[in-house]
Amino acid sequence: MSIEELDTTVVGVRRPRIEAPTKVTGTALYASDLPVAGLLHGRFVPSPYAHARIVSIDAAAALALDGVAAVLSAAALPIAGSGTRALEPLAREEALYAGQPVALVLAESEAIAEDAAELVVVDYEPLPAAVDLDAALDASAPPARTSTVGAADAADMAVHGDAAGSVEEAAPTASPNVTSTHRLEHGDVDAAFAASAAVAEGVFRTGWVHQAYIEPQVATAWVEPDGTVAIHSSTQGASFARAAVARVVGIPLEKVKVTPAVVGGGFGGKIVLIEPLVAAAALAARRPVRIAYTRTEDLSATNPAAGLRLEVKVGMDAEGTLTGIRSRIAVDEGAYGDMSPSGLIGPRIGAGYTWPAWDVEVTAVKTNKFGPGAYRGPTATQCTFAIEQLVDELADRLGLDPLEVRLRNAPTEGAQKLDGAWPAVAAREALEAAGEHPLWRKRAALPQDEGIGLAYGLFPGARFAAGAVCRMEPDGSIAVVTGLADITGTATAIAAIAAETLGLSFEQVRVNVVEASAAPQTPVSGGSAITYSVGKAVRAAAEDAREQILRIAADELEIAPADLEIVDGAVRPIGSPDRGVTLSDIARKSTGFGNAYPPVEGRGATVPAELSPSACVNIVHVRVDRDTGRVDVLDVAHVQDVGRAINPLLCEGQMRGGVTQSIGYALFEELVHDEDGQLQTPTFLGYAIPRAEHVPAIDTVIIEVPSKHGPLGAKGIGESAIVPGAAAIANAIHAATGARLRTMPMTPRRVWQALRES
Amino acid sequence: MIPAAFDYVRPGSIEEALAALADPDAKALAGGHSLIPALKVRLARPSVLVDLRDLDLRGVAIDEAAVTIGALTTYGEAARALAGVSGVDALREAIGSVGDLQIRNAGTIGGCIAHADPASDVAAAVLALGARLTAQSPAGTREIAADDLFLGPFTTALAAQELITEITIPRGGGSAYASVEDLASGYPLAGAAVRLARAGESDGSCRVALTGALGAPSRLPSVEALIEREGVEADLSAALSALELATDDVAYRRHLVEVVVRRAAARAVERSAA
Repeated sequence: MSIEELDTTVVGVRRPRIEAPTKVTGTALYASDLPVAGLLHGRFVPSPYAHARIVSIDAAAALALDGVAAVLSAAALPIAGSGTRALEPLAREEALYAGQPVALVLAESEAIAEDAAELVVVDYEPLPAAVDLDAALDASAPPARTSTVGAADAADMAVHGDAAGSVEEAAPTASPNVTSTHRLEHGDVDAAFAASAAVAEGVFRTGWVHQAYIEPQVATAWVEPDGTVAIHSSTQGASFARAAVARVVGIPLEKVKVTPAVVGGGFGGKIVLIEPLVAAAALAARRPVRIAYTRTEDLSATNPAAGLRLEVKVGMDAEGTLTGIRSRIAVDEGAYGDMSPSGLIGPRIGAGYTWPAWDVEVTAVKTNKFGPGAYRGPTATQCTFAIEQLVDELADRLGLDPLEVRLRNAPTEGAQKLDGAWPAVAAREALEAAGEHPLWRKRAALPQDEGIGLAYGLFPGARFAAGAVCRMEPDGSIAVVTGLADITGTATAIAAIAAETLGLSFEQVRVNVVEASAAPQTPVSGGSAITYSVGKAVRAAAEDAREQILRIAADELEIAPADLEIVDGAVRPIGSPDRGVTLSDIARKSTGFGNAYPPVEGRGATVPAELSPSACVNIVHVRVDRDTGRVDVLDVAHVQDVGRAINPLLCEGQMRGGVTQSIGYALFEELVHDEDGQLQTPTFLGYAIPRAEHVPAIDTVIIEVPSKHGPLGAKGIGESAIVPGAAAIANAIHAATGARLRTMPMTPRRVWQALRES
Repeated sequence: MIPAAFDYVRPGSIEEALAALADPDAKALAGGHSLIPALKVRLARPSVLVDLRDLDLRGVAIDEAAVTIGALTTYGEAARALAGVSGVDALREAIGSVGDLQIRNAGTIGGCIAHADPASDVAAAVLALGARLTAQSPAGTREIAADDLFLGPFTTALAAQELITEITIPRGGGSAYASVEDLASGYPLAGAAVRLARAGESDGSCRVALTGALGAPSRLPSVEALIEREGVEADLSAALSALELATDDVAYRRHLVEVVVRRAAARAVERSAA
């Protein structure tokens, strides 16, 4: 029997996160809590213009203020090159968006830094700005950037992986703001449409959406006596940040250290945004520097999800099989394309389905706004918002059951998708479970202005090479050594995996997070891949440690390892519970002086062979107030395949958070710029996010269809959890009112307008 | 997000407080939930904050004719005191719309009125209920009718060295407050307070006050006249389209104004008949 089929005693138990007590009692040490002697606080001087040439910066008045140590502009930083956000943490000759940091004031306190920032005088020559996405695409649009872009290693900076499809140079007659075009084609889409029983199309628009983590960006850097730059950061990837800083600041990798702090939310937004600047500032100032963004700075000058325009046309035959898809997608890349989703959105428009023919073109466009970053399942929510509404519409027109249509097009392993073949995915099982849910059965008999909608979606996830060490401590307990940045409770998950593998209780295992240069290979916490990839390495390391423990015990007890088991903190012969040797005995004999045995140091180095996407279905019940356009979400059923629930409580947390953020996408969140490129929503007074009163009880349904590749069959689930919610809400609004909305967020204003027009 | 430097004083009496407000750049601090955010983004840069917390201006007195609220009574204290008190429903409902529990435990009725936010829920209620403010300055005490108080956005008829000490609200009639809130801020995009006289009451007038959609919280005389003549089912569209709304998004906002006026009027009718 494989270990995946065994009953488990630690894995599968609902358990709060290890660090939960420190977080709720305020003893967790976040990045801005770290006590540092001689610290200088950084405060930005932001550009007031969306686009302007920077003529001069006069810092004399600021420097005259008591307590101001330095005012740094781009020229003062040890960063050479330009063109990417990594190489231009402060604007060079050109301010590219309103709010862009142009200078950095370093002072003895935040208050002095803020006073001084007001005294820095910057001379700007305003330039025409390209703000609106559609307008920026026009051939007559002003260029969003006029200064020459240096040789930038943009591909190096991207976490999104290889771009799917072919990449073309922009056509010469196109707008000066088009940076690239990606194309994916297969088969004859026109023939497919001609042969379809029905075709549905629409132009869908989604705005810039901020990750809205509760802890704004913050990092501290200092230079050690030997010239090593040490960084302590609220980051999703310490190792990734380390490599990036070394490259950007031009120092050897061994001279950079990055320690991941406790993170107050990341959701994709904290992947090497501020570490290069903080490191460069510490080097320039030769004193420790901390930059802690205010909420306004975070909303104005970080890396939200990009605004998109999606033109989509989909065909379906009379039985409900999808025949083909044509799509033209414009991605608003803002000022910097480092983390642009333009390379990965093409396949996402295929959503969770199998397709016989497709014709997809993605155009990336620069505008005078912040550059985009990743946000939990990048582009999948928006693509699913489009596809799941079109599929719903086609099912309706053809008189087919909406759930049956999803089942009909759900992929099996090896079926075709826009970027290759589907790996195993339990879409069928998730859809069938959703169909059984009482909320789905309620849909026919609802009061006026209420409706229930369904949507299916997923994020493919990622698979990463990862290492882990499982070592026995001198007291016989086990330490898992990793460099992981825990944003979802992954430390709690890997502790359970290690404990289960070793036959220990959860309390006998601790997770030691170490600084990147000392840690085993640890990928970025992104792509729903930490439990899946690091958990796999931890499993291997724990198995290795187990074998080493058994070998030592076998020698002590003179019994073959195969006849031994680990129970209750001791190794004993199977069937002889009164004999055995304790783990603390083994520890004593393998650590300290005069050892009889080598120490127990289990090592795991793994990479999952394939992706194991987690299928997800949301059923949402809404009520629409026709007078005001306000949509209230009354009830949600969230069904998701997790492969194997390492900790069902953690899984439910991901599901609830995903639904909440999908409500944010659907009904609340949008960063809005006026025609001059001024951000109208720089605080939560203007940028709406769902609060507790807006989120109903969510019924979470965990189904388990084990993965062949993840630890104990587990799949990465964090991103799929956000994907279908917004589309389900849109379908529910249609069920309630007959109106279809193609723009997110579906604010009361937009709903009211749609009701007037329908 | 750090205020510019300021001095701080905490007077023990109204006279001391008024003296401290002689500095034209001084600002009075009550609950602070409007002023301190303004300080943090440096929209306000007072030379000195005059903290009123020790002044004896708290408490709610209730008699048959009126309710009198001390200026430093918090929203929460007022709401609890007015629970079950008839004839002031619009004020109770407006208080319930303000912020959240924490804000209602800190913000004060007097501070709210003196701040005169053009989207203040409570301002609409005190206008519709015909409240009178008692205000004290070094020159003495005077009464100001709510109708004469709100002059423009964040602007009142109060002098620089003048503090509201109490708010008197005549009880009677049936009243209600209804609003549609901005999703992000919670402030009303449109909030309407309506007061209707009971059948047989000597004062047969209808009072309607609007907040959130205009430059300042205001009575709507043309709407009042229509309702007095034709009742709450009157066609208000002509009267509403004449309003100069403080927004570019006129069609939706005008529609919301009608929605809240109608919702408040419907509840006010029920209460005036009860």
